Amino acid sequence: MTAAIGRSLVLLSLFAAVAGSVVAFGGAAYRNTAAQRWARRLLALYSASIIAANLLMVWALLRPDFSVGYVAAVGSRSVPKWVAIVSLWSSLEGSILFWGLVLAVYLAIAAWTQRASQSDYMPWAIGVWLSTAAFFSLLLSGPAQPFTTVPLPPSDGPGPNALLQNHLLMAIHPPFLYAGYVGMTIPFGLAAAALLAGRFGPGLQRTLRTWLLVPWMFLTIAIVLGGWWAYEVLGWGGYWAWDPVENASLLPWLTATAALHSALLVERRAVLKGWAVTLVMASFLLTILGTFMTRSGVFNSVHSFTQSPIGPTILAFLALATVFSVLLLAMRIDTLAPEGQLEPGFTRDTLLLLGNLLLVLFAFTVLVGTVFPLIVDALWHRQMSVGRPYFDHMVAPLGVALLLLKGLGPALPWRRPNRERLLRTLGWPLVTAGLAFGTAWAAGSRSPWALLVAFFAGYAVHVALREIWLPIGQRLRVLRLHHALAEAQRTGRRRMAAHVIHLGAIVIVVGVAISSTMTVSKEVALASGESFALGRYTLTFVGAEVRSEGHRDAVVARVDVAQGGRHLASLTPRMNYYASQQTPIGTPAVRSTLFEDLYLSLLSVDPARQTIGLRALVNPMVSWIWAGMILMAIGAIALLLPARRTLPPAGAGGVA
Amino acid sequence: MNRRVLLVGLAVALPLVVLLVASLSRDPTRIDSPLIGRAAPAFRLISLDGGDPLTLQSLRGRAVVVNFWATWCVPCVAEHAALVQAAQSSGTRVAFVGVVYQDQDSEVRAFLRQHGASYPMVMDPDGRAAIAYGVYGVPETFFISADGIIVNKQTGTLTAARLEQLVAELARPAERGPS
Repeated sequence: MTAAIGRSLVLLSLFAAVAGSVVAFGGAAYRNTAAQRWARRLLALYSASIIAANLLMVWALLRPDFSVGYVAAVGSRSVPKWVAIVSLWSSLEGSILFWGLVLAVYLAIAAWTQRASQSDYMPWAIGVWLSTAAFFSLLLSGPAQPFTTVPLPPSDGPGPNALLQNHLLMAIHPPFLYAGYVGMTIPFGLAAAALLAGRFGPGLQRTLRTWLLVPWMFLTIAIVLGGWWAYEVLGWGGYWAWDPVENASLLPWLTATAALHSALLVERRAVLKGWAVTLVMASFLLTILGTFMTRSGVFNSVHSFTQSPIGPTILAFLALATVFSVLLLAMRIDTLAPEGQLEPGFTRDTLLLLGNLLLVLFAFTVLVGTVFPLIVDALWHRQMSVGRPYFDHMVAPLGVALLLLKGLGPALPWRRPNRERLLRTLGWPLVTAGLAFGTAWAAGSRSPWALLVAFFAGYAVHVALREIWLPIGQRLRVLRLHHALAEAQRTGRRRMAAHVIHLGAIVIVVGVAISSTMTVSKEVALASGESFALGRYTLTFVGAEVRSEGHRDAVVARVDVAQGGRHLASLTPRMNYYASQQTPIGTPAVRSTLFEDLYLSLLSVDPARQTIGLRALVNPMVSWIWAGMILMAIGAIALLLPARRTLPPAGAGGVA
Repeated sequence: MNRRVLLVGLAVALPLVVLLVASLSRDPTRIDSPLIGRAAPAFRLISLDGGDPLTLQSLRGRAVVVNFWATWCVPCVAEHAALVQAAQSSGTRVAFVGVVYQDQDSEVRAFLRQHGASYPMVMDPDGRAAIAYGVYGVPETFFISADGIIVNKQTGTLTAARLEQLVAELARPAERGPS
């Protein structure tokens, strides 16, 4: 019964999406306002039916109702409530259903906020959005149907993949990732609409920027959270492995970042409209590529869903969407002619353009590294993997160059500067850069890349802080502090927020550079009572005990951490045993401080003999990466908060 | 129509799509062993049914499928039926050998009584054969040509269809390209 209702809801959503996109395209082409109204109604129907289907599934998972196919496959009576809810996206069919949910929410909000808009682009955008929605509803009603009926429901199910049950971050990372991935549909629709309508005016630019920033922010958070999860759960001591699926999430992030920066040039100079639109469309296509990578079984990764039949279907959609995008761009890009021109020479314009090219090159490098094993396999029938060395070698120079631009770009004025002024604005940050370099050197860093990163990061931090301070400082000459702050916040928030995002990104880059070059690690076998030294710590294995925790059993080892004879902490790395899985899942124990993490991960444990195999690492500055993410999120939220429009827009002489 | 945009767009997108289509049948869990293309390491192992020890040498002239497995390994249990079936249907051209990895005689006997068997099982008590073949974890299955060369290796559960395909490739004398 539940399954039948679910199937009906999915079919209803498919109908609404297909009909809605047809009506929207028709309404846009013939400028028929009645059709445009109907398209919005059908969009609402789509959203409502998919949201209802998701609620139904969550309800079935919580009961649990094993007559629903998906629940029989991933549900269990013994898992905690949060695990039951997380099961919604733990397996293939549910993850597509959840995709639908996120898309439905995005569409509802995007359509609602633009409800009063009489613009010529909205009907086109709705048509594109609902076409995408139709594809995912099609997947749900056929190849990835979660609401199959189980004729003889089992009395209990296996529960979701044990890795997903193992850490609370698994409840948080996927929703953020979906919010990032799925959200790219909205700017894609708007970009396509700009081409279809043949106009990319200030109104659409603003809307597009906002709707690009939202998924970009979620994607940023999701990528870092994914690293955090890997760090806290997988136990190898790192947070990024250039795994195909990690790369898949990075690709659209890179192009979307480029698009956000090119939007500045579109806004200021009315140039590069076609380029910006292309980047937005590429970001969407790369999210679909990423979806294909995780669900086709072509790549091997921690993220892969089990062998699934929907790979070809997603690939067909990817091919279709790509052909649509390329044709649309080729046919209509000339309608988005530039109205201004770039300021040539050593200006912010030039550096923005250069940064754009570097980001695209970065994305291309990662893409090539990711699909290279496929090329080798297809042409020479050999297995190979492209590992860290390729990515590290290729990406380090690009990352450092981008960091340099991040410092130089914002330091340059929009207009061509005079020499004296230029020397002053570019000179002072060198002091901070030198300090950062010295600090890294004093801390023992000898990796040329890490030292270079420290130098450029110091430079960029100085520039970002100056840019944040400038609007406040200028007003402080005439106003009291809190008035100055309020005033600066009111008129210069966009710029300040953008630089907070920059600061966050710099902090992340520094954390990555230092932690990836200065880790110390040791693998030891210990009997109870034995100790060993690592860095400035002395670690003593106290003992291991078996615990039963309902849905899992665990062996927990206790390791005392001391420094200079003083007890600092007791860490408890553990192995969790789940009924559904043969091999145990280790959970490392991490002691984080501002400048370094002590990371303990069990390799093996024998509770009877009281012996363990332990991997211990001292990872410097890893927590900076998480802190940087929070800064970036704060900046992005500040950028998204609705602005009270006052005074002439920036660029009307405010800075110069 | 902007020709340049069209050409550049297609030049970037088309090869990628073609590559992905070509990769659809790819199995990322297949890991080539350095042993592929080399002579299969000889072994002499105790038969489970108590007969003479089984050697690889004695099977020379027939293609051989060597499956490392154990009763405690769930993927091995899952592929057992497919192996039994394949051994039966491939007749005398292809010999199947099951090498029991880190397991007890009694457990294996009980398992085979329950699930059936159609090809010889041998015990590898000190794991020498497993080490010689570089077995990383069970199940691993090696495909050895009639002239004693390892031509393929599969890690993880084999489906009936995949097994049929691999056995057919094995029985068909060397037409694999240079590897």
